[in-house]
Amino acid sequence: MPIEITMPRLSDTMEVGTILHWHVAVGDSVSSGDLLADIETDKATMELQSFDDGQVSQLIVSEGNQVDVGTVIATLLEDGEAKVEEVPEAPTPTIQKVVETGHRVSPVARRLAEVYGVDLQTVQGSGPSGRIIKRDILQVVDTVSETTAAAKTTSAPTPVVPSTPIQPLVSASPWQEERTVPLSNMRQIIAKRLVESKQTIPHYQVTMSFDMDPLLEMRKTLNKQLASVGIKLSVNDFLVRCCALSMATNPEFNASFGGDSIHYHGPVNVGIAIALPEERGGGLVVGTIKHADQKSLRTISQESQYLSKKARENGLSPDEIGDTTFTISNLGMFGVDNFTAIINPPNSAILAVGAAIEKPVVRGGELAVGNEMSATLSLDHRVIDGAMAAIYLKTLKELIENPASLLV
Amino acid sequence: MSVATAQRVIEFREALREAMIEEMRNDERVFLIGEEVAQYNGAYKVSKGMLDEFGSRRVIDTPISESGFSGMCIGSAMRGLRPIVEFMSWSFSLVAADPILNNAAKMLYMSGGQFGCPIVFRGNDGAGGQLASTHSWCVESLYANVPGLKMAIPYDPYDAKGLLKTAIRDDNPVFFLESERLLSTTGHVPEEEYTVPFGQALIRSEGTDCTLISFGRPLHFCLEASEELAKEGIYCEVIDGRTIRPLDIDTMVHSVRKTNACVVVDQSWSFASVGSEIASQIHAICFDDLDNYVHRVHSDDVPTPYSHNLEQAYLPNTRKICEAVRAATYNA
Amino acid sequence: MNDANTTGVEASGVPQTMQKMSKIDLAPIPNEGVLLGWLRQMLLIREFEVRTMQAYQNQLIGGFCHIYIGQEAVAVGSIAAVNDDDPIVLAYRDHGHALARGMDPKYCMAEMFGRIGGCAKGKGGSMHMFDADHYLYGGHGIVSAQTPLGAGLAFATKYEDEILKGGKSSHVTLCFLGDGALNQGCFYEAMNLASLQDLPVIYVLENNRYSMGTAIDRGTSMAEELHVKSEAFGIEHAIVDGKNVIDMYRKFKSIADWCREESRPFFVEAQTYRYKGHSMSDPRKYRTKEEESREEENDCIDLLTTFLTEEFDFTKDALKQMNKQVKVQIRDSVTWANNSPETPMDEMYKDVYTDTWGPYTGTSKPEMLEEGGET
Repeated sequence: MPIEITMPRLSDTMEVGTILHWHVAVGDSVSSGDLLADIETDKATMELQSFDDGQVSQLIVSEGNQVDVGTVIATLLEDGEAKVEEVPEAPTPTIQKVVETGHRVSPVARRLAEVYGVDLQTVQGSGPSGRIIKRDILQVVDTVSETTAAAKTTSAPTPVVPSTPIQPLVSASPWQEERTVPLSNMRQIIAKRLVESKQTIPHYQVTMSFDMDPLLEMRKTLNKQLASVGIKLSVNDFLVRCCALSMATNPEFNASFGGDSIHYHGPVNVGIAIALPEERGGGLVVGTIKHADQKSLRTISQESQYLSKKARENGLSPDEIGDTTFTISNLGMFGVDNFTAIINPPNSAILAVGAAIEKPVVRGGELAVGNEMSATLSLDHRVIDGAMAAIYLKTLKELIENPASLLV
Repeated sequence: MSVATAQRVIEFREALREAMIEEMRNDERVFLIGEEVAQYNGAYKVSKGMLDEFGSRRVIDTPISESGFSGMCIGSAMRGLRPIVEFMSWSFSLVAADPILNNAAKMLYMSGGQFGCPIVFRGNDGAGGQLASTHSWCVESLYANVPGLKMAIPYDPYDAKGLLKTAIRDDNPVFFLESERLLSTTGHVPEEEYTVPFGQALIRSEGTDCTLISFGRPLHFCLEASEELAKEGIYCEVIDGRTIRPLDIDTMVHSVRKTNACVVVDQSWSFASVGSEIASQIHAICFDDLDNYVHRVHSDDVPTPYSHNLEQAYLPNTRKICEAVRAATYNA
Repeated sequence: MNDANTTGVEASGVPQTMQKMSKIDLAPIPNEGVLLGWLRQMLLIREFEVRTMQAYQNQLIGGFCHIYIGQEAVAVGSIAAVNDDDPIVLAYRDHGHALARGMDPKYCMAEMFGRIGGCAKGKGGSMHMFDADHYLYGGHGIVSAQTPLGAGLAFATKYEDEILKGGKSSHVTLCFLGDGALNQGCFYEAMNLASLQDLPVIYVLENNRYSMGTAIDRGTSMAEELHVKSEAFGIEHAIVDGKNVIDMYRKFKSIADWCREESRPFFVEAQTYRYKGHSMSDPRKYRTKEEESREEENDCIDLLTTFLTEEFDFTKDALKQMNKQVKVQIRDSVTWANNSPETPMDEMYKDVYTDTWGPYTGTSKPEMLEEGGET
């Protein structure tokens, strides 16, 4: 059994070390206490001594190279073990590129898989030599929206772009049987997307409370006036408009992180998270209200209702879910006070909205009862800093608490 | 407009004749020249009766001398005349390759913009039927390689007239490729004046599953194949390119973006052809829209055989096109 | 169309036998001023060609380059015999004809330098001199390709004069060719058509006795009786001394007038000699120095100088003076050409088509034509 010599931790804060110089060569005999190498730590150059007797069989990390603490850097053979020459060379600790094999994908299939978030590894190709073709991807996407009655393959598949964490709406009954259900494609996509978002985007949250009385008052008045034409504005419709209008002075909220750049979007397309009913497989989609900053409350309301209805009944077309630049997730209707959401890439922010709740508030030095709503922004720190988030919320607050400006 | 005129149906060759007659009436600089165009009334009767109307100074018989009369007409076009040169067959244009390619196509460039060449070369292109190889040339791929010329290939009488009028009015040399096999086909041609612009492809039938691109006579087989395939649930979008230079790649790209599959049918040989050029452009522009590589149907890569059965098997036909579409759409 | 009663021509207009010009009357010798003008033109061409060779060796000119030295009298004498608006088309040894026709040498030189100021904006080079203002329809690079074009230019002038203008054909086209072009098929097609169509075109054979390095009798049958080439098509012919510009002019004027009047083609063999190689890279190993010296003793410029000295008291000083002027003009042309910018990249896609589509950017005329009115 060869003895492994690992990169020692030679200081309290050391995480990696560099081999500056090997004092031994392969084949050398060493005894405990012999100097093996000079190691540069984050603080100093240190000596590495041997703890064992034996013959150096491998120097795995060469001079000048840096490795993590704990990495095997050399091996010794104890006396009596096989000859040095016969020891097969261990693989060098370089990163092995994983070579993808066996996956032929037609260009359009590759693109569609990206659009719909389909993991190509899970798709069985039906083309020549197992090539994944358009039909295969559409079949996967179709299964997700299978409830659509009698839809031909040409009908728009329901795409899935998850944006918020799933709140357990119904807790499992204790008497329910234990069971394992394979993930539906949508759940797979949600899992993949959200893990990716949460792992790669440096999230942080900023919360603010809003006095909702003026807005609720105005909503009541407007809905009375619009009742005759069948329009009922929701709180969310107001929020869509508020958020969209706030982009004018806070363009970072309508931007995407691009690796070595930040891309500022032209149009303001606000996504609204729509939960899907169980009979449609559950999950959620984000519908897009395009150019929301240029649309009236009335238009926003109509579009929003249309998207929700269509999402639940027939599924949305790619056009209706694509191109969001900012997302709102509202769980207020379920009585949630506040929560945080996971950013819907490539957005750089998402607003998680709770319910407007009656609370004791101080107005003009006196205690009163008012409606307050709490909303929490999740932000991509690579694009938006804390102060910018605060300024955005302040802009939002001014609009929400002075809603007359939403009408103009 | 009465119903009768709206429904006026004439032969392809009559449509060509009307185009020439109208343009010659409009512009005295236009004249028709070629072998047997005058007294004989045209080897394929395209110019029938034109000698009577315009006389021997404007409808001119030539000896069998393509190099000479092509060059002569190019010289006259340099001074601003607008010759229509009829090749009895484009196969015979090969002996005139130097004047039509070196002089007509390059004159404007080599003279630094001083002398253009407003000339139309027209005649039968492609296999006429058991004419064997020297008389069955499809010159489109050979000549389309040359910048400086334009190339139009009409499929029906409407386009034959409209495209030929545009060709005659064009200030550049136009290679106008007709098909002997189409001359007797009929179609609706209005009495009213009209032209068909160059560089605008025509969608001859709409479909969702595969874009089928062709020019001239093979379109007939494309349309037949399209009907056949529809029975199998494969819907082709058949595009008539109409002109090769300029090529309306935009219309083709637009269609491929929709269908994600494409088959090009080109009656010339496959090597370095119009078909390979279009396939290459589609691959470049639509790379991420393709579900399969662009399939092509050409004549077989051999000299055109005389034997009837060999010739039929050699040319692009409905069966070959159906097979190509099925393969391109993974329905093979 | 011929008169039906012209000898040897049937009513159909198709000549069945040789249509003879009764006799070539020699046109009168022009006055001293005209002769001095020709001398100056020949000196100008020769100096231009000397500087062309120099520029070629200095790598200012690329590609193929064919020098006209020795043959100057052919271009000068024949072009002097026709009207300014009679079309001219020729082969690739074309600098001399362009200058004789009136192109400013600076445009010719700039073309060879590949500059935007060239007559074809630097797109043609040495072999492709075009000048619309001077009815010069180009030098053409493919041997004999210009011969059907010459028929076409004559066809066009006849068509314009008779059909578009309703008058009488009143132009004659000059189509120059070298003896190498005699063996290309299209020349015979062109002559056949010219004869059938009664086209007023003069095929001027500049017989310098070599097609590249092949002596005429090695490459052309009936080399000593070239008139048979045109006789087969019923086309009248004549032989002129291509070294004697006065003789060249006097016969040529008479021939051109006949062609114009009768609307018939003609075949003229001008006997001459090129002093230099076929092109700049030709070592001239196929002929002897003695032959070259013998030919150069009988030089077209010397012949005219002698005539002027004998007839008009033309002095050596006057000749020197003229030579000096010519040298200055050519030097200025070289400078001008050298100062003309390289043809810019936006010319790449210009002049491919007259209209704009795809990558093509339409067409525009060279600077020479814009300034044409002034020079």
